[in-house]
Amino acid sequence: MTLTIATSIDDVLAAMANGARPIAGGTDLVVGARQGKVTMPTDLVAIDRVTELATVSKDGDSIRIGAGVTHAQLLTNDVVVNELTSVADAAALVGSPATRNVGTIGGNVMNGSPAMDTGAPLMVLGASAELQTSSGSREVTLADLWTGPSQTSANTDELCTALVIPQPAPSSGSAYIRLEYRRAMEIAVVGAAAALTLDGDSISSVRVALTAVAPTIIEVDGLDSLVGAPANDETFEAIAAAAREQARPISDLRASDRYRRHTIGVMARRAAHAASVRASGQIVPVPVNRAFGVGENPENIR
Amino acid sequence: MKTFVRADGPDKVTGSGRYVADLTLTGMLHAKFLYAGVAHGRISRLDVDKARAMPGVLAVMTADDVPDLRYSPVIPDRTLFATDVVRFEGEIIAAVAATTPEIASAALAAIELDITELPVVNDIEAALADDAPLVHEHWESYDVTGDTIRDRNVATFSAIEKGDVDAALAGAAHVVTGRYEADASHATPIEPRGIVAQWEGDKVTIWTSTQVPYDARDGVCETLGLPSNRVRIIVPHLGGGFGGKCGFHFEAHIAALARATKRPVKLVFSREEEFLAPDRRREGMIVDITTGLSADGDIVARKAWVGIDNGAYVADAAFFPQLAAMHIGGPYKIPAVKIDAQLIYTNRQPSGSVRAPTAPQACWAVETHTDELAAAVGLDPVEFRRRNLVRTGDEGIVGQVYDEIGLDQCLDLAVSAMGLPDLPADEAIGVAIGWWPSFAAPTGAYAKMHGDGTVQVITGAQECGTGAVMTLRDIAADELGVGVEDVQLVYQDTGAAPVGPGATGSQTLLNHGRAVESATQQIAEQLRELAADELEAAASDIVLGDGVASVAGTPTVSVPIADLAATAAGGDLLLGSASAPMPDWPSVSARCVGDQEMASWLAPQFSCHVVRVQLDADTGVARVLDVQTAHDSGTILNPIGATGQIEGGVMMGIGQALSEITHYDEAGKQKNPGLLEYKLQTIADAPTISTQFVEIYTPNAGPRGSKGLAEAPNVATAAAISNALAKLTGGPIRQLPMTPERVWEHIEAQSTGNSAEVPA
Amino acid sequence: MSTNEQAVTLEVNGIAYPVQVPMDSNLSGVLRNTVGLTGTKEGCDDCECGACMVLLDGQPVNSCSYLAVQAEGRAITTVEGLADGDELHALQRNILAAGGVQCGFCTPGMLMSARALLDRTPNPTDDEIRIGLSGNLCRCTGYAKIIAAVRETAVQL
Repeated sequence: MTLTIATSIDDVLAAMANGARPIAGGTDLVVGARQGKVTMPTDLVAIDRVTELATVSKDGDSIRIGAGVTHAQLLTNDVVVNELTSVADAAALVGSPATRNVGTIGGNVMNGSPAMDTGAPLMVLGASAELQTSSGSREVTLADLWTGPSQTSANTDELCTALVIPQPAPSSGSAYIRLEYRRAMEIAVVGAAAALTLDGDSISSVRVALTAVAPTIIEVDGLDSLVGAPANDETFEAIAAAAREQARPISDLRASDRYRRHTIGVMARRAAHAASVRASGQIVPVPVNRAFGVGENPENIR
Repeated sequence: MKTFVRADGPDKVTGSGRYVADLTLTGMLHAKFLYAGVAHGRISRLDVDKARAMPGVLAVMTADDVPDLRYSPVIPDRTLFATDVVRFEGEIIAAVAATTPEIASAALAAIELDITELPVVNDIEAALADDAPLVHEHWESYDVTGDTIRDRNVATFSAIEKGDVDAALAGAAHVVTGRYEADASHATPIEPRGIVAQWEGDKVTIWTSTQVPYDARDGVCETLGLPSNRVRIIVPHLGGGFGGKCGFHFEAHIAALARATKRPVKLVFSREEEFLAPDRRREGMIVDITTGLSADGDIVARKAWVGIDNGAYVADAAFFPQLAAMHIGGPYKIPAVKIDAQLIYTNRQPSGSVRAPTAPQACWAVETHTDELAAAVGLDPVEFRRRNLVRTGDEGIVGQVYDEIGLDQCLDLAVSAMGLPDLPADEAIGVAIGWWPSFAAPTGAYAKMHGDGTVQVITGAQECGTGAVMTLRDIAADELGVGVEDVQLVYQDTGAAPVGPGATGSQTLLNHGRAVESATQQIAEQLRELAADELEAAASDIVLGDGVASVAGTPTVSVPIADLAATAAGGDLLLGSASAPMPDWPSVSARCVGDQEMASWLAPQFSCHVVRVQLDADTGVARVLDVQTAHDSGTILNPIGATGQIEGGVMMGIGQALSEITHYDEAGKQKNPGLLEYKLQTIADAPTISTQFVEIYTPNAGPRGSKGLAEAPNVATAAAISNALAKLTGGPIRQLPMTPERVWEHIEAQSTGNSAEVPA
Repeated sequence: MSTNEQAVTLEVNGIAYPVQVPMDSNLSGVLRNTVGLTGTKEGCDDCECGACMVLLDGQPVNSCSYLAVQAEGRAITTVEGLADGDELHALQRNILAAGGVQCGFCTPGMLMSARALLDRTPNPTDDEIRIGLSGNLCRCTGYAKIIAAVRETAVQL
């Protein structure tokens, strides 16, 4: 076994061209190997010291989040918190301060888990993954990237270098909320992200994506019919109904399919509600999960 | 007493403190166990030759390599290694000692094991079916002790019978019946257990993370055929137990490996093993209760059945039915009682004493039922309890008459501390009361004062974190008139101290405190005699305090205790040794069938917990916001330790109420043996918790009028949460834990008028 | 074994330790077994309990799930590095005084998380304390006295 500690993207790509697997914090790999769920690869390349992967920048009409940006960094980045707020909602819910320090958005996205928290927000914000090899790069939409539970369409020599997100339009807001059984060290039972743009009191665009109710994170189809609808409870309930309809949940020890189907509606409704409040220019503190307390009435939405 | 400072504190905050996993001995080997991996089956092939032949493997042991005998208190139904039939997934088939943990793991994989699966007895009701397979085919051949009533899969049976229950129910104005089902949960100390064994000649020293060093010693002696004086158990710091580290189990395997290899051998459990292998799971339980009430709201009769999921082996659980029956009766005045309780074999992990065994589940059932009773007669739940609970001089369900007790004050204090806040629609307050016995057991202590006036107390007490052992220092200092810092403890070493029951039954201070009192009083007597000579006064007039011996009423006439100690060092040494005198046991008048010595309760402790709960009705997610508790544990010797026990017990109770559940698959195997899916409460979930003590000097109990404490706070929390949730959801949730999904299904069932509850 | 081992220098509590470690060793194992500092505990093997918490360049990390070789060149702080010689850190003093230590097994990890929290948030609210320590499970205390100790430390420092 070898480990190369890379300091530039070129180092990483060279190692990957020779078959090395990239790791950032390495948590998933170390834990997975110990539990026998994954085999420790022969060659690893550590990417956590590649500073060019760890930046958030505005590039024309898009926002670029480096794949090496940690969840903790997402939470303290003004661009993310103010303009991609749902991503901050999700980052704030990941594990614990320690896992947020080590875990990166690129690691999360490339892990391909249907229960990952940052996935649904990125999807509703229209993010693409930038995949690079020593011979070039391409951008892949997340819907095309995630092909199944912990499966992606990326080739083994492709490094995810960034998530590229179109600059949200004015009067936009987004939110991510998940069902959790305790307030830390938790994994999403189900979760939903919503991104909304308002034109006055009515909706000019809306996207909703769902966590842990299908083999991959999925986007809710058919919400175009809500364009022009008022941002009110009735509209949010229509979003909830669509989420329930399109969810394909399984039963496991975390929840039954029946309970997941019900609660995905609740999460979608709350996410849409919070996103609309944010779109209207009001502040809903990050994460939305805490702003809602445990009930439907937001305690901190003003 | 003075401000409490833990003697083991600096060691624990600097990282210098050693726990078993931190110990390394030269030449040490690493042990691993091969487990059955199936819940019920017959071993058809077991071949360890390939594993034994692997380089780096120094021993592979099976049942063939240890004495052929069954052990366990009351019902010896257990062997160190599986012999023929395996009865739960964590049963040990073989043990390996190798030069590295990796080689030990590889050796496990090289063991050839075939098990022919047998039908699995997966729960209480399956075990009681007429055609149920027997978990122990030869149960009748076991050599049981005591008044132990058994039948096939019923491992033990106990009952409380008083008055004519059927007649009383027939004459009752209201009769309320309910079934309550609790799932199994776990003790889950944060330290996984570890054991290191090393032989020197024919003696073995075992460092182990046990709560009960003497039980561990006796178990090693019994199973390996050794006398008591050749087995020494040392416990370094113990990283929590909560009952999960009670009992003897794995020490003999490691001692046997160390003997076979002539090398020190170390075992450290993974978190998964910590979930699967110990015989100390908190038992699942089904309770059926029928209670009759007078028109005014007096309880006139109770008839109940309790089924307890024992798992595959009895371990220390033989008394559980009797204990559960007491809790189902509750701390109430009930003239007619018939409570039957069964401990039932299944092919699951064995149950055993986890913090207040049977009590949180039984209290949850009976206190949920109590709110239903109050509703049936139209009384406020608090008023209903005031009317029916036991007070000083009352007779409890077994006819035991209580001396001065403070249950009624506990109820009043906790309820008034919560007050009547103006609650939003998604919040409610729930109230529950609970009780728990104090336990007396034989123990002793040695004490010595050195020539410089410093003191050593040698005690068999075991510190599991509560601070109870640390408080012994305060008692010794108080008796001897010296500073706490001048007293050192020698503890957790069976080679040094007299026998003790260990950190179990909330009785460390109750028993060891009295022994330390007596032993140090002997030295105090010697000091008074010496001071009397020195100060030309009567020994009975000598007062010890602040490091000096002085004449009562004339503090200026004094001599430093260190001077007296120096004098003694030249002749008659200052030594004390004493046993704790056994208290008198209260008498009972009810008929107690299948008595496992739990019929009467010595110095019962009482409590009331009041919780404020918020519910997200759309998802069933509940959150406890505030907890007010009041406890009668007699005199409180160490307030900071006592409140710490209550806060920890409440938090564990919230976990049991809302999030801690062990899921089983159809084959009887645990589905969530890890800390991601077995959900302990985190600091982010913690409510505010306030505590008041009803301090009643309780004679015939612990030192200075104290009772036990550490388990009592774990009794009533889940019950109080249940009663709050019932208010928020339109009726009681009859399954524990009350997980979000269960709460939501319950709300759904209420709103659709369908009473069916979710199965899992 | 040599092909699977690597010579690295780990800087722990300001002291450089040249060590030979297997490539796949986790940091907690190397700290405990090779460097010889056993204050860092192992309680769960999968980032769920926080007993193994150490600081890497001042940030809390679950050392059970971090490759030891990846820590080369970073400043590692363990509980043994918290006190200043014989002088306990205020967190250590206050957690003892408040009664926030019972069995002590979670304590080292809890202290490291608290130290990192106070370094980045010198005057935390109770909610910030809860979030900051939310990766550390304690089964003994019910957390109240630990929160009180951190609060008190923030006032003192």
